[in-house]
Amino acid sequence: MSDDTDLTTSTDIEPPPLPVTENETAAPAEPVGRIDLAMLDEMSRVDPALFEQNHQDPPFSRQVMTTPLHFYVASESLTNLWCNWNGYSVAERLTSIDDEYATLRHSAVMTDISPLVKYRISGPDALTWLRRLVTGNLVSLSVDEITPVVFCEDRGHVVGDGLLFRLGAAEFRLVTEEAHLAWLLDSAIGHNVRIEDVSATLAAVSLQGPLSCAALAAAGLSGIENLRPYTAHWFDLMGMPVYVSRSGTSGDLGYELWVEPDDAPALWLRLLDKGRSFGVKAGGFALREIARVEAGIARAGVDYIGAFSAIDPQTAMTPYELGFSSLVDLEGEHFTGRDALRRVHARDPRHILATVAIDWHEPLRFTAIRDATGLAGLATSTVFSPALGCNLAMAILQPHAISSSTVLHVEAEIREELSLRLIHAPAHIIAGAALMLPARHLVPAPLTIRG
Amino acid sequence: MERHDAIVIGGGLNGLTAAAYLARAGVDVLLVERNERLGSAAAGYDIRPGFRMPRFTLGTVSLPAHTVSDLELTKFGLRLMRVDGGISLTGEGRYHASYRDGLMHRRELARLSVKDADAWTRFRRDMLRANLALRDVLAHPMRDPSRRTLAAFRGLLSGADKVAAKPSEDMHDLLRIWSMPMADFLDSYFTSDLIKLHLAAKALAGTTLGPYSPSSARFLMNAFMGEAEGAAGGAPATVLAMGGPEAVANALAASIEAHGGRVRTEAEVTDVILRDGKARGVALADGAEVYANAILSDLDLKRTFLALFPWNELPKGFVERVSRFRMRGVTAKINLALDAMPEFPALPDGCPALQGGLRLVTSMMSLERAYDDWRDHLPPRLPLVEMLIPSMTDRSLAPQGKHVMSVAVHYVPEFLHDGPWSNERRDRLSDLVISEIAAHSPDFKDKILSTETLVPPDIESEVGLTAGDFEQGEMTLDQMFFNRPMPGLAGYDTPIANFYLCSGSAHPGALETGGAGAGAAARVAVALGHAPIHRKGSVL
Repeated sequence: MSDDTDLTTSTDIEPPPLPVTENETAAPAEPVGRIDLAMLDEMSRVDPALFEQNHQDPPFSRQVMTTPLHFYVASESLTNLWCNWNGYSVAERLTSIDDEYATLRHSAVMTDISPLVKYRISGPDALTWLRRLVTGNLVSLSVDEITPVVFCEDRGHVVGDGLLFRLGAAEFRLVTEEAHLAWLLDSAIGHNVRIEDVSATLAAVSLQGPLSCAALAAAGLSGIENLRPYTAHWFDLMGMPVYVSRSGTSGDLGYELWVEPDDAPALWLRLLDKGRSFGVKAGGFALREIARVEAGIARAGVDYIGAFSAIDPQTAMTPYELGFSSLVDLEGEHFTGRDALRRVHARDPRHILATVAIDWHEPLRFTAIRDATGLAGLATSTVFSPALGCNLAMAILQPHAISSSTVLHVEAEIREELSLRLIHAPAHIIAGAALMLPARHLVPAPLTIRG
Repeated sequence: MERHDAIVIGGGLNGLTAAAYLARAGVDVLLVERNERLGSAAAGYDIRPGFRMPRFTLGTVSLPAHTVSDLELTKFGLRLMRVDGGISLTGEGRYHASYRDGLMHRRELARLSVKDADAWTRFRRDMLRANLALRDVLAHPMRDPSRRTLAAFRGLLSGADKVAAKPSEDMHDLLRIWSMPMADFLDSYFTSDLIKLHLAAKALAGTTLGPYSPSSARFLMNAFMGEAEGAAGGAPATVLAMGGPEAVANALAASIEAHGGRVRTEAEVTDVILRDGKARGVALADGAEVYANAILSDLDLKRTFLALFPWNELPKGFVERVSRFRMRGVTAKINLALDAMPEFPALPDGCPALQGGLRLVTSMMSLERAYDDWRDHLPPRLPLVEMLIPSMTDRSLAPQGKHVMSVAVHYVPEFLHDGPWSNERRDRLSDLVISEIAAHSPDFKDKILSTETLVPPDIESEVGLTAGDFEQGEMTLDQMFFNRPMPGLAGYDTPIANFYLCSGSAHPGALETGGAGAGAAARVAVALGHAPIHRKGSVL
């Protein structure tokens, strides 16, 4: 297979349907003992368009790409502030962060989340292979259900985490923050499974907030309130197939809508139009960051470094150190890294990822989390939470910092004209999420804001 | 009678670096260089009026950032430019480029194979990891592990401690990169032949191993040596100096003179003056004698001991061992002045990676055959051709609209199986290479204004590098680390008291970083009773 094939094939977007189900036995693809590496290319087929208008453009023609919703988001922007998420331009903020936050917590906010990495996994061995890939138990995952997953390499270090959707009996979608195709394909050798990077052929919009369900219902998604958390359903909206999942990173009621890139603008405009009476507005990436830190959700590549990116091996982390213990099933079937995790399970963690609240009434810039003796940890994400009125950080802490007897603080410098104020702000660890609202779990989902 | 604290023989990068560090430490140092220009093989010349280029080297620079800052080279006129990492061009008109920007490089890899784009993360991690593991080793002079002193024993113990602290998987990875053939090593990351070939051709250029030689994989990590860990995640940058690599030598010379040191060119050392078996000074070709308490040689090991000393004054057996130090030339240079920028139809217009150079590649197998030809001393048939057009980045090197092109031709033997290099053989080599380039750039031959071909013997006679070996001794495992330049001679000391080796024949080798010079300077400063030289980073 020539190297240029990715460019010249796949003009169609949908791959040919695979008629097999998981119960059918697959014919062995390769004779035992011989791995045809070209087969890996056959197993994956990736649409190269990557949202670009003209994918014949040479790679150096631009540094950052745009999503299908770029111009529609831009027309909502009063600030023209953009940032880079996974190689795509996304709005940093559209109005002011206070207004966007108020909308998120009192109405609902729409965000373009198309830059997420999406893999379509299909084939007779899809479930078998996924069970070996992820640390959790997938036995109870039925069609149209979603589960958070984490996957490790042989040494038990986390490669990445994400959301796994079961779209059909033998069809799945894995949504991650970072790209993992090389690892997915390498670990799929010997399985009859097809893994495609569909990041470019699937756009996504997130609608988060207490009135998100009401807004979706008004937009024409009837019965949306009955969708349970971590499930999804196909809807028909003005003739567009829209896959709606009740998921999100806000710690509140919220949905994510997955559509074809061509349909994304129509969906965006429809939601904006029908949501207007509920106060729905567009929001930016900065708001998403605040909400996810409040909800205690770690972001790969920021709060932890994947095992294949960590240059110092000591910085790769186990699921236990990242607080993913509930996603690890050591008693179930075999998965990659299980033996190593069994060994480290009993051991004391080297670091712990935790949410830290810093009692200070204005946004601070800091990295070091200190205790009386010195450095106790490093903040990986820092935000100011308007709801809690304090700074929040995701931080990698040394194990002793977790104990309740350790008193933590951060130091920050604030320049006021030509004088310097040294801030010494107390910090404490928050167990679980700093903000998790009950509406996230209610079924049927509330159509109004409840007291 | 002229007298100094220290004399450095030879104005190459290591000699200049050693003298610059010594001058800053307060040592009264004199550097003597045989040629008119400093910089050894990197010295510049005008191939025709107005067309400036390095005479023997390709023209890239790999000076470590902390040397620039330690020696304040920016203050002395050095301007470094980081550009994208270069392009490989195949016969069928396919190409692969290296971009510094992580996302751009990812898209470039994805153009060839999406799987390889993701595999790049792991490859880059392993390259940086291997360099990290090496950093401590290169940061200190090597101790001879067989010497039974307390310090050597302690050094060994602390080294063993560090090894024991590593998880065994990390040791496996390290062993893999230090022992595997490059081609097999690359297979464990990438599927695209072109991506593998691009990385291999860059890493093998100027080495004495082929892609299928055991232990050749380690050359892959050299490109990542200067990369900051937190860099954008793309391919390593190519670094050029404004004014060419001779600008580095000139800035170092200015740094030496600003700190009271002296630099004397066109002064050839003919002999080292020995008294009671100790080096006391040097005799110059013009008959003058200069004395010093320490003498450092920036000449390669063979030239140092076989040319500067009466052999009967050297320890028994030493001359014979020195003569067996393996030095073999591998690179020829073709210098070209061009009337206009050559066009490469296979490349997209305006590709920025062209500034980092261009390599012509065919296949891993043909690279191996080129290596076989070199080993057999056959006239090159399909050598590894590496081009750099520095005037794209630095317009001061050629008149407006015109260009200079450095062509390094690798796997060129120092002599041919049936005799030495003749003018006819030189012409045949340059015809072969220029036709090879013209096959990728149709009107290339019409744009050539001047050309000059220099083969390894030319390098030896003009610069003094034995066999024209830029590595100043093959960088094979038996001639590295505590075996460099030879077992029992680790560190910068030699069997002659007061006489030190500061050239690339000493640890860490000719990496174009001045590391050996800096390391030798630290050793000599202590020997002369000065305070130890404080360096911000490693020897590198």
